[in-house]
Amino acid sequence: MREYIIRRLLQVIPTVLLITLVVFAMMQAIPGDPLMALLGDAYDEEDAQLLRQEYGLDKPIISQYFIWLGKLVQGDWGESFISGRPVLQDVLIRLPVTAELIVLAMLVALLIAIPAGTIAALRQNTWGDYTAMSTALMGISIPDFFLGILLLLVFSVSFNGLLPSSGWVYLPGTCPSLICEASVWGNLKHVMMPAIALGVGRAAILTRLLRASLLEIIRMEYVTTARAKGLTEKLVILKHALKNALIPTVTIMGLQVGFMIGGAIVVETLFAIPGLGTYGINAIILRDYQQVQGFILLVAVCFVVVNVWVDLTYSLLDPRIRYNA
Amino acid sequence: MKLQVLNGATNGSAATAVIEPEAPVGRAGVPSESLLAQTARRLKRSYTALFGLGIVVLLVLVAIFADVLAPYDPVVNSMNEMFQAPNRTHWLGTDQFGRDMLSRIIHGSRVSLAVGLSSVLLAIFVGVPLGIIGGFYGGKADTLIMRAMDLILAFPVFLLAIIIMIMFTPTAGLLGAMKVIMAIGIVRIPIYARLVRGSVLSIKEKEYVEACHALGQHDPKILLRHILPNCMAPIIVTGTLSIATAIIVEASLSFLGLGTQPPTPSWGWDLKANVAWIQQTPWLALGPGFAIFITVLGFNLFGDGLRDALDPRLK
Repeated sequence: MREYIIRRLLQVIPTVLLITLVVFAMMQAIPGDPLMALLGDAYDEEDAQLLRQEYGLDKPIISQYFIWLGKLVQGDWGESFISGRPVLQDVLIRLPVTAELIVLAMLVALLIAIPAGTIAALRQNTWGDYTAMSTALMGISIPDFFLGILLLLVFSVSFNGLLPSSGWVYLPGTCPSLICEASVWGNLKHVMMPAIALGVGRAAILTRLLRASLLEIIRMEYVTTARAKGLTEKLVILKHALKNALIPTVTIMGLQVGFMIGGAIVVETLFAIPGLGTYGINAIILRDYQQVQGFILLVAVCFVVVNVWVDLTYSLLDPRIRYNA
Repeated sequence: MKLQVLNGATNGSAATAVIEPEAPVGRAGVPSESLLAQTARRLKRSYTALFGLGIVVLLVLVAIFADVLAPYDPVVNSMNEMFQAPNRTHWLGTDQFGRDMLSRIIHGSRVSLAVGLSSVLLAIFVGVPLGIIGGFYGGKADTLIMRAMDLILAFPVFLLAIIIMIMFTPTAGLLGAMKVIMAIGIVRIPIYARLVRGSVLSIKEKEYVEACHALGQHDPKILLRHILPNCMAPIIVTGTLSIATAIIVEASLSFLGLGTQPPTPSWGWDLKANVAWIQQTPWLALGPGFAIFITVLGFNLFGDGLRDALDPRLK
């Protein structure tokens, strides 16, 4: 097991290097001179030349990449053109907010998907099944941000601000500055609608998948054997069928994190949550490419880390995988 | 014949299934039913798939005849008519610039459908040949293609679409729509490349392909006449379901201001613009939102039906 974990972790290195290469190429491909953005109206060719030398922009492109990579590794992700703040510090402040949103959205997805998928499979071709599947199809078809808007209309507009329509209250102990509000209840009120908006689509996907897996598993011989041994139906389903049906669900959950990162960007923008998504989108709007670069790098690296974590979890759930890997 | 169906991860059932269509059982002298005829027969029996197809056909007609159907010009401002509630003259009200929402939704269908269909076609036209070459020839070509696909897949789909749109710089009109098509198309290429490669790896070992080689047929002819047709079923199913995903991605990009730019009517952009006034004019956000939802639902219903028709055992 240890060998498998080490091998899997080592595979992260080339992937992250490729990501840095793509992000670097992207920054080079953006039209316009970055120094023009940096200097703005004060642009002067002499100053620009000095800055080019200072930032190593006069060197060959390959050298520029390795200089940039060296700085990244040392934690120097550059400074915002606009605020002058270190990019790494800013993205790391916002990461826990986005992570909380994604984790809670996944929790919402599982709380809906596990009972719905199980009922749909155990009551196949009944009204329970049809209702679960029709609802799942609608859940898949509704964009996160539109569901968010519907929730806003119900809980913020119709019920006179029962839930806040925007902003954020931090969890106690996670406040990044001295002037932000922090409370568990406030945080829950702010995160509830965004988490539901982001989680429902994933719940629909997981419901369909869990139903399909369960339908396959409850027809397997070992489930018949468990029943023949006289185990109660509840025990057969919970201990033998559902446990195994959750294995592919974990994989898809991991893959869904990629989609949730995308969804979180949109949902954060809708609810004005100070997470990575709003940070990235504001940076794009303001053309602060240092911030854009930091945002993309962090999100892509998080995606790789999540994929590795899913692989390792998968191998824990299904021991056959590590021997075959 | 074996067919491999990979449902897009976004539509719920990402399981890969190998399909063994029923063997032709035509009586002597009676030609056996083709896969197309079997699919059409099964589709006719699925009311949900027909309902989805109905929505799709209706939307295509709305997009084609948008100029005739829209009661007003969707881009002309009318400042003395701004923020009107739904009424007899403006059925869905007017936005902050006094533009008729119904007309904007009708014209917005063009962008959504054009981006949805074209991006999937782009991904198919690039991804399928890459998958065929990789699967059929193997070796270095396969390694090179698949590593390139892995590189694309190393990024979350939506993030990569954002990166590409930053590089392209979003604009209005046809050029703006083409940029979005490119961005969404590029991020979807690996889906088809991987899907087709898997199918080709299986199909190329079949006796009839060996027979073609023995008969001295050239590779391009074998690929186009014998291998590609046998990969079509999963491509069609994945393609149909991918249109739904592409429409959501387009709307999301527009919602963030990275899709087609105003004044070009776009459901995602209109939704974003109208959310700002949600307290005062909540109805304005509903129109574009439901338009996206119904369109995506239509494609998902039809795609699901198509998948079930091509392999009823997956139902």
